[in-house]
Amino acid sequence: MTASAPQFSAEQLAEVRRLQGLYPDRRGALLPVLHMAQDTFGYVSLEVEEYVAGLFGLSAAHVHEVVTFYTLFFQQPKGRHVVAVCHNLSCHLAGAPEILAHVKARLGIEPGETTEDGRITFQAVECLCACEAAPMAQIDDRYELNLTREKVDQLLEALR
Amino acid sequence: MAEIVLMRNFERPGSHTLAVYREHGGYAAWEKARQMEPAALVEEVKQSNLRGLGGAGFPTGAKWSFIPKNHTGPVYLVVNADEGEPGTFKDRYLLEKDPHALIEGMLIAARAIRSALGFVYVRGEYVQPWRRFSAAVKEAYDAGLLGQGFDIVVHRGAGAYICGEETGLLSSLEGKKGWPKIKPPFPAIKGAFSQPTIVNNVETLCCVPPIVSRGAAWFAGLGSKTQGGTRMYSVSGRVQKPGVYETSVSVTLRRLIELAGGVSHSGRLKAVVPGGGSAPILTADEIDVAMDVDGLRNAGSMIGSAGVIVFDETASIPEALMVLARFYAHESCGQCTPCRESTGWIYKMVHRIVEGHGRKDDLDTIIDVAKRGAGTTICAFYDGAVGPYISYIQKFRHEFELLCRS
Amino acid sequence: MPKLTIDGKEIEVEAGTNLIEAAQRLGIDVPHYCYHPSLSIAGQCRLCMVDIEKTPRPTIACNTLAADGMVVHTQTDRVKETRRSMMEFHLINHPLDCPVCDQAGECWLQIYYMQHGLYEPRMTDEKVHKPKAVPLGPHVMLDAERCILCSRCVRFCDEVTGTGELGIFNRGDHSEIGLFPGQDLENNYSGNVVDICPVGALTDRDFRFQVRVWYLDTTKSICPGCARGCNIDVHVNRKRPHHAAGRRVARLKPRFNDAVNAWWMCDVGRYGFAFVDDPSRVTSAQRRDGTQLTDTSLDEAVAAVADALRRYAPDEMAILASPDQSNEDLFALKRLCEQRGIRNVAFRVPQAGTAADDDFLLRADRHPNTRGAELIGLDGDAAGILAAARGGRLKFLWIFDHDLLAGDARAAEMRQALERVEMLVWSGTNANATLALAHRVLPLAAWVERDGTFTNFQGRVQRFRAAVEPLGEARAGWDVIGRVLSASGTPFPAARAEHWFRELAKTVPDFAGLSYQGIGDVGAMVVGAAPTTAPTPPGKRAGAKVTA
Repeated sequence: MTASAPQFSAEQLAEVRRLQGLYPDRRGALLPVLHMAQDTFGYVSLEVEEYVAGLFGLSAAHVHEVVTFYTLFFQQPKGRHVVAVCHNLSCHLAGAPEILAHVKARLGIEPGETTEDGRITFQAVECLCACEAAPMAQIDDRYELNLTREKVDQLLEALR
Repeated sequence: MAEIVLMRNFERPGSHTLAVYREHGGYAAWEKARQMEPAALVEEVKQSNLRGLGGAGFPTGAKWSFIPKNHTGPVYLVVNADEGEPGTFKDRYLLEKDPHALIEGMLIAARAIRSALGFVYVRGEYVQPWRRFSAAVKEAYDAGLLGQGFDIVVHRGAGAYICGEETGLLSSLEGKKGWPKIKPPFPAIKGAFSQPTIVNNVETLCCVPPIVSRGAAWFAGLGSKTQGGTRMYSVSGRVQKPGVYETSVSVTLRRLIELAGGVSHSGRLKAVVPGGGSAPILTADEIDVAMDVDGLRNAGSMIGSAGVIVFDETASIPEALMVLARFYAHESCGQCTPCRESTGWIYKMVHRIVEGHGRKDDLDTIIDVAKRGAGTTICAFYDGAVGPYISYIQKFRHEFELLCRS
Repeated sequence: MPKLTIDGKEIEVEAGTNLIEAAQRLGIDVPHYCYHPSLSIAGQCRLCMVDIEKTPRPTIACNTLAADGMVVHTQTDRVKETRRSMMEFHLINHPLDCPVCDQAGECWLQIYYMQHGLYEPRMTDEKVHKPKAVPLGPHVMLDAERCILCSRCVRFCDEVTGTGELGIFNRGDHSEIGLFPGQDLENNYSGNVVDICPVGALTDRDFRFQVRVWYLDTTKSICPGCARGCNIDVHVNRKRPHHAAGRRVARLKPRFNDAVNAWWMCDVGRYGFAFVDDPSRVTSAQRRDGTQLTDTSLDEAVAAVADALRRYAPDEMAILASPDQSNEDLFALKRLCEQRGIRNVAFRVPQAGTAADDDFLLRADRHPNTRGAELIGLDGDAAGILAAARGGRLKFLWIFDHDLLAGDARAAEMRQALERVEMLVWSGTNANATLALAHRVLPLAAWVERDGTFTNFQGRVQRFRAAVEPLGEARAGWDVIGRVLSASGTPFPAARAEHWFRELAKTVPDFAGLSYQGIGDVGAMVVGAAPTTAPTPPGKRAGAKVTA
């Protein structure tokens, strides 16, 4: 393996084995390990997929299937922050299109894109199940509720 | 005012902690259940008329009894915390505010179905609820409640609505794409990792400790003739006070809207989605319906996950259908042909209509295509899409036709 | 054994039989895409719906096992309407590539649309676009737009070859078949995914744009690539030769045989027929004039060989037979040797390089009839024969097929040895370095140009059949040898391969009781050989590496 090839530390490998042991078939640990890989390497590149495939005795194609199926795995480098604005039904009724347009105008990018400086990846996403506080977004690990243009500005400003 | 069962702990500070949970009677039901035979527990839940609160409304006790009696291998209890139905947010509250209620419900259910291993599948976006629930699981282990014959593995999803479908969830749990499994065999016969499995919704299991504590008859009496208990209705859209509201399952839709403060914006009701995005829409004339499983089924809709989305007069039904059609096209897993191909196509048509380039026969095409696909797919996802496709156009056709050129 | 009724006809089947199979036994075709008898049930295409009494909705037949008392209807109006609906779903995003798609004429979208669709298309929006003309390894071309996502190819790579190269990526109508980016479809069975793909998504790169399939003729045969003897069909283009750039054999396809190769054949065999129409084919007899080889008539060459056989003493003569020859060819050779008393006969010429078994069908022995040559009694001392040549003790050597000068470190030594042979005769299909040393060349017809049988490594005798005419004066081995026998004064019994086989069955005890009729299309075991089943595919063995 070359120096740039992804690799878990010894502790992480122990954690991989522990996770694999929790499931009747170790393949059940694939999603947790992919989350771990994304947290470690920033995103799930093809090299990471091959590496993880090796840890599970799976073909790389089958790991690629899983990574391309789920929306939370990034196959390209993502921004330091992810701003995911819900555009599903209740948020739509509460003004999500305006919020989306506002974010687009502030950041100068379309949903699906990342700002030039690598600060923010902007997404339009499906129901996050916080409809009582629509319109809302998920920023990194947090739900940000009851958005207004002003609140959006404050939130974006705070993202470094 | 109906009794508050599921939300009873929500207002207490530290409600999510073991100490506070125990202080207010937590795990007493589990102590009682440990003295009962598994078959007796199943029977109690059957008698309670508890019906699945995740979407399908299947009688829970009956589901538990499908585990083969002579099976000698492992049995798995899987909790569906992949809440994703548009308009639904109740499980998020339960995971964050009363995680021990779920753990206690799991312990009892596991005893009933003779399971030694439970998995809780939390949708990937629910990071805060996942952390809360995982902390509660750790507390339960430390207190010796777990790890004494029953273990819980908390498993995060990675962003796919279809993983809320019970066998899609199982595929994802097994480390694969969330493709639902062809049935038969059904999960109770061959589920997670090919073993008999019961999949229950978060809220459903949270009903179990009260049922054991206070008895099936009590629970049944809280509800309607064919469905016991209370449930948490997620009310959102154009209402004054969106939020979760717990009432008897016999509540009417009209009453629920009142509880949520009535219609906002124009103040005039146009339509209501009664059971999450996949439920056929009801017009303003149809809200005197009981919000239990059979009540809504008889009204041509479904209670589903009890996600109530209210439309006022100014809301655009074609736009709403476009939003949902986009959702179904995005979330279709792609496994079987009718859903994979037509969810994308129907979205294109509805989008074109909303943009002003629709044709009137597009409306008939959408309805015909939806009818041809209904009932033909591997799972009920497509039938959930068909609900809006057909009902929105049939009940508000004039609004669509106004947008069509020819 | 459940007894059920399908379309009013009763049938009894083994427990575990699904309704597609049960219906097939009654001659009823239930249309389907994703189902394949060798692969796990996918239930994805939704085309195989049938009506079952007491079941409210149509049900997929592939995942429904026959049950006692079940009553199935495959032709109700509701089933027909469902099929029409499913055809529409399949065609929503399908590109109208028929004019440029190799699958046309054997495409199951076309076939089922004509049988069950026949609706007016109403999809006027932009179809989903996906990669087109993507090479997947050396043999397969992918067009992802044409793909109906039946997943047969994915399941094949998981469950048969156990290599897991293919997957379905993304979701919804952006789902796409593909390889892991940067990898290749390099297993030895890649060509089979083209066979099982119901549409033109996976096509054969070798066959690409060659000829329309409705111009092809098909002949049942046996692959001569190794000692397994996979059953095949040979597809030849006789009707549009101007499209074929001189190539008569368009492609080979595996033919199902439960006892040998199941549904499959390997790439080595599938793509190994180019030599048949290669310019190096020897199409006329040749004679040596000084240092040159010039054309002569087959009769002249035969006469020269017969004359040589009369002139030399038996111990001065030797024959190097080939395990690529048929049982008939080898038996004729055996007759010739007996007639002239020649005892120096062998076929195990040391080969350059080493071949190996793969882990499924391909045998290390890349000859189709080694077992036949053994049983017929031609397994002599090849090394001894070559030593005799080197020592100048051989006056006559007839070499079949072998190239003794090929890539061998001792090629110079071998050349000298062969040059010491007074009468060197060479017979084969394609010219090689050894041919250049011969005094007489008697060309042989290729396996697709003649009838015959091979005996595979398990002792199964299987028929291969002529699909095209021999080129020029090339003839079957038994024919050439028969003419030599005739010219030597011994009438030879046969004008057809079958006559030789009858003689063989009467003479060699291992073949007693066998006949072309008994061999039929599935083959027959030599005496004492146990019946066989096709080997378990690598993907289905315990501990197989990958599962979907």
